[in-house]
Amino acid sequence: MTALTTTGWWRDESREPLRRNLGLIGVLVALFGIGAIIRPDLYGDPQWVVDNTLVILQQAAAIGVVTVGMTFVIIGGGIDLSVGALIALAGVWSTTVATQSFGAGGMIFTAIIVGVLAGLVNGVLIAYGRLVPFIATLAMLVAARGLAAQISGKQTQVSNDQFINGLASSKVLGIPSLVLVLLAVAGLGWVLLNRTTFGRRTVAIGGNQEAARLAGINVRRHTMLLYALSGLCCGIAAIMLTSLATSSQAAAAELYELDAIAAAIIGGTLLSGGRGTVTGSLIGVVVFATITNLFAIANLPTEVQNMVKGGIIVFAVLVQQLKFKSVKQLLTRT
Amino acid sequence: MTTTEPDVILRLSNVVKDFPGVRALDGVELEVRAGEVHCLLGQNGAGKSTLIKVLAGVHKADAGTVEWLGEPVSFANPQAAMKAGIATIYQELDLVDDMSVAENVFLGHEPRKFGFVLPGQAARNTTTILRRLGHAEVPPRRLVRALPNAGKQLVSMARALSHEAKLIIMDEPSAVLAHDEVANLFRIIRDLTAQGIAVVYISHRLEEIREIGDRVTVLRDGQTSAVNLPARTTPTRDLVSRMTGRNIEYVFPPRPETERGELLLEVENLSRDNEFHDVSLKVHGGEIVGIAGLVGSGRSELLETIFGARRADSGSITMSGKPLRGSVATAVRAGLGMAPEERKSQALLLGEPVYRNMTLTTFSRIARFGFTDADREQRESMAVADQLELRPRDVRRSVSTLSGGNQQKVVVGRWLLGGTKLLILDEPTRGVDIGARAELYQVIRQLTAQGVGVLLVSSEVPEVLGLADRVLVMREGRVVRQADAGQLTEDDVLDLVMAGSLDTSGEEAA
Amino acid sequence: MATRRNMLLGGAVLGALAAAGCTSNETPSGNAQTKGPDAGNPNAAPGKKITIGFSAPAADHGWIAAITNNAKAQAATYSDVTFKQVEAGKDAAAQRAVLETLIAEKPDVIVLLPHDGKELNAFGLKAMNAGIPVVNLDRAFPDALAYRCQIKGDNYGMGVAAGHYIGKALKAKNIASPIIGEIAGMDELELTQERSQGFKAALATYGFTVANRRAARFTADTGQKEAQNLLQALPKMDALWNHDDDQGIGVLAAINAASRNEFLMVGGAGSKKAIEDIAGDKSVLKATVTYSPSMASSAISLARLIGQNKGMADLVELQVPKEVILASETITKENAQTYLKLGF
Repeated sequence: MTALTTTGWWRDESREPLRRNLGLIGVLVALFGIGAIIRPDLYGDPQWVVDNTLVILQQAAAIGVVTVGMTFVIIGGGIDLSVGALIALAGVWSTTVATQSFGAGGMIFTAIIVGVLAGLVNGVLIAYGRLVPFIATLAMLVAARGLAAQISGKQTQVSNDQFINGLASSKVLGIPSLVLVLLAVAGLGWVLLNRTTFGRRTVAIGGNQEAARLAGINVRRHTMLLYALSGLCCGIAAIMLTSLATSSQAAAAELYELDAIAAAIIGGTLLSGGRGTVTGSLIGVVVFATITNLFAIANLPTEVQNMVKGGIIVFAVLVQQLKFKSVKQLLTRT
Repeated sequence: MTTTEPDVILRLSNVVKDFPGVRALDGVELEVRAGEVHCLLGQNGAGKSTLIKVLAGVHKADAGTVEWLGEPVSFANPQAAMKAGIATIYQELDLVDDMSVAENVFLGHEPRKFGFVLPGQAARNTTTILRRLGHAEVPPRRLVRALPNAGKQLVSMARALSHEAKLIIMDEPSAVLAHDEVANLFRIIRDLTAQGIAVVYISHRLEEIREIGDRVTVLRDGQTSAVNLPARTTPTRDLVSRMTGRNIEYVFPPRPETERGELLLEVENLSRDNEFHDVSLKVHGGEIVGIAGLVGSGRSELLETIFGARRADSGSITMSGKPLRGSVATAVRAGLGMAPEERKSQALLLGEPVYRNMTLTTFSRIARFGFTDADREQRESMAVADQLELRPRDVRRSVSTLSGGNQQKVVVGRWLLGGTKLLILDEPTRGVDIGARAELYQVIRQLTAQGVGVLLVSSEVPEVLGLADRVLVMREGRVVRQADAGQLTEDDVLDLVMAGSLDTSGEEAA
Repeated sequence: MATRRNMLLGGAVLGALAAAGCTSNETPSGNAQTKGPDAGNPNAAPGKKITIGFSAPAADHGWIAAITNNAKAQAATYSDVTFKQVEAGKDAAAQRAVLETLIAEKPDVIVLLPHDGKELNAFGLKAMNAGIPVVNLDRAFPDALAYRCQIKGDNYGMGVAAGHYIGKALKAKNIASPIIGEIAGMDELELTQERSQGFKAALATYGFTVANRRAARFTADTGQKEAQNLLQALPKMDALWNHDDDQGIGVLAAINAASRNEFLMVGGAGSKKAIEDIAGDKSVLKATVTYSPSMASSAISLARLIGQNKGMADLVELQVPKEVILASETITKENAQTYLKLGF
């Protein structure tokens, strides 16, 4: 395989994220093509296509915000399994009768505070309590769902706030507000990761924790902050989800942790840390939302959809490994 | 077996192994006969580990031939070498702690019937093998975790025998053993050789080589500097000079005749259990203090403790008169910097470009209001890259594409950028080729000209002697000698670090 | 169809609770589903004084809360009934323990909503052997000897009721080949499958089929998501059945956000909020089909009759029947006011 030594942008290591994003966009185009073949009546209508695209983006909004936080945690060498539970907890807490009496501001404030504090608990347990992230956030998952059920009495809490309820259906310049929230969070996330010391520390700690420590970086404090950031994203997502469903409940945001991790991974975030992009994660989320949408349009059952999702994750990771090794090596490795 | 010597089982001729930027083996010869203990001697970095890995099937030789039982071979993987009858016992024993002795011995080739493993038979076979090793008392069902180091070594050997090994390679087996356990190890080795099994024995301790070895092959800078010397009768002076004499002279920059600066680092009576004891040293601005010692002498642990990465049990560390309290962050703030021993695992972000590696300690300072300034980082990194003559001179390149020497320059450059007053260098030239070494020495000397103090550790004695102004010799966690570099010769230092060997051999001591 | 038991056997406790479809922010106290003495009914006259023992899982959920509440309130309407409730704790083991003490107190009848019908089957047998008749509420015992009478809901019937309502409404509008959507609950549960089968069978009698079926997870957020996609798949729709009023909150949110109103929607379970919406006639939600916790009130009435050795007055038999399966009722604008007190 001497061809490996040839140069070109597709061989250039630093262009790897771009290459992967282009691959994912290719997947999106392919999905669109499949849709056009199945339902030419719908995909032939430009207005419908625009509407449907906005629907997909809106469905990607809440999970997208969570995935931005998750991307930071994974790049920093961790994992956060508690995100779905934190959304439920923040959502339920912000829609109690007492909280709702403070209006939309009070609800948003509560959701964000609950998310950040729960994230901080994760962070303290992991950074200072030396718990493995998997265990600490798994415990938080169970506990937060329990607390959410306790607070809500296992009932669906309807939001009566006009601002919150209207947020999801409102549009600014023709774009749904929640999509704008996602774009804002992703934009801030991109700047944070690529242009600030916070992002640089995240990459350093995830890439080589020992090197970061010996370079004088406060690894523990930063690790703690990463989980707080993830919690913050959960708080924002909780408000978005409450707005979409005009209610909250303890069972909400089921399995969001897996969706967020999967989206980050197919977006090119290395599960072992040190590498990943916000853009890739974002496109990953959109790919999954598009699949869900396409399956609804094609009237295929959910179980098939889950199988396809699983297949795509495996495929994406296989491609990730193929990057470094030739096909031949991969085949002869057994 | 049609070769000239009927009992030669392994013959290596002109074996070459290249790693990016370094030629680890450069025409190595080795001949091992059945039933002998063949000792492999050489300094750190001479190529012993690479040679072992070639024999064990971990690496493939780039050139040369390996003849095993008269047939040229090239093992595709460790399993193939094992199957052919070559077993390797690494220093860090590759056993599964939470499995039993028998399970470890038969790991990967468990006695089976219809696809079911037969634990009873494995245990019986293990006992048989252990009896061959003279240790039938070890219970085959005990967890390996519960065994002392000597016991674990025994299990490794039993595993080798379970594969019908004809050659067992032992990498510094005595390093993890207590004195009386070594005697037992030698008894086992004699039993093995009596059964016709050959042993390649690697050790730093001359005394052991004298006692157990039959023939010695000496490696130096990836080449064989002597083959098949008689282990008992070759004079120590001869062995040492063959280990240290070199083809290419290191080019050390001249020591400037300047006054040394203010006292920077002062370490007093520093101790850590089982690592080092009662170490005191001083480093002034503008001087290089070198520590010579073998792996396991406690030198790396000492450096990490000074840098705050480990906590001292007793003693004190002061920097510019202020006490340091065991944390890396405070050490860095006080002006310390460290280039650790394991560059890749302890210092570099391999997926990141050079400039981000160089600014790992300084990006926060360069940043404004928390926003990083990549342009300024690149400019400053470029200036350092120029100063260090980094090749290629492209700071946006991924650091993983650089050679070992240039990677080391990146790590040193990191601390140059940080305005570090005292730089700790742990094995700065490991894995660095000869040409790049001279440059690194130049860089280090330049630093002192700027008033920086350097604390250097190297297992290569000439490096310490040639580069440092003052030298500390460490052995088994203690400083055994402290002197100006000019007052010591390489042989003096080797005598000190290998002390004990000279007493038994009755050779002259400096 | 031992649906609720099977659901629990499926391990989907959460689903079971949500399946009941509770939708309320407050506990429904003062809102119980009862039936006072009816002068025309010979059974209304006070009879032998009896004690009815009652046990249901702790009220950690609206539907269960409504069950307990209804039972208590119904008992209070009878001057000849002493109501003895024991806390059932949080699992089958805890419930078994308190039931042991209940047997020792020798009530005349026991009304029991078990945590799990299978696990408490032995208790049913024991009580029956001790001469105490057991009325099983909703989660059936596998062994017929373990209960005297059983009263439960009807998932298949829910689907049938929804199908007939939609079928009739569309026939009345003279739509020949209507586009009908369905948003089911958790698809892996048997009860969801039963509801969908009933719906499909009823629609077939009108020659209609379901154009697109999505499965949500009994939660409002998944209801919203599935509804949003369904609306995209069916740009024009005539009718929609949503299995569960709880996830219906999200479904309605999606419909409102999309400003769609060309179709009629039917809900499921019969939550208070859904009934209020139907009564107000402000949304596309025109009806809901019940799986009502009112069965607890009826269970107390049946227990009283059993305890007093009476039959159901309108029936020929002198004894209460062995099994009562509630018909799923259809709540529309016309009868919503009547049902409002049954909403939970």
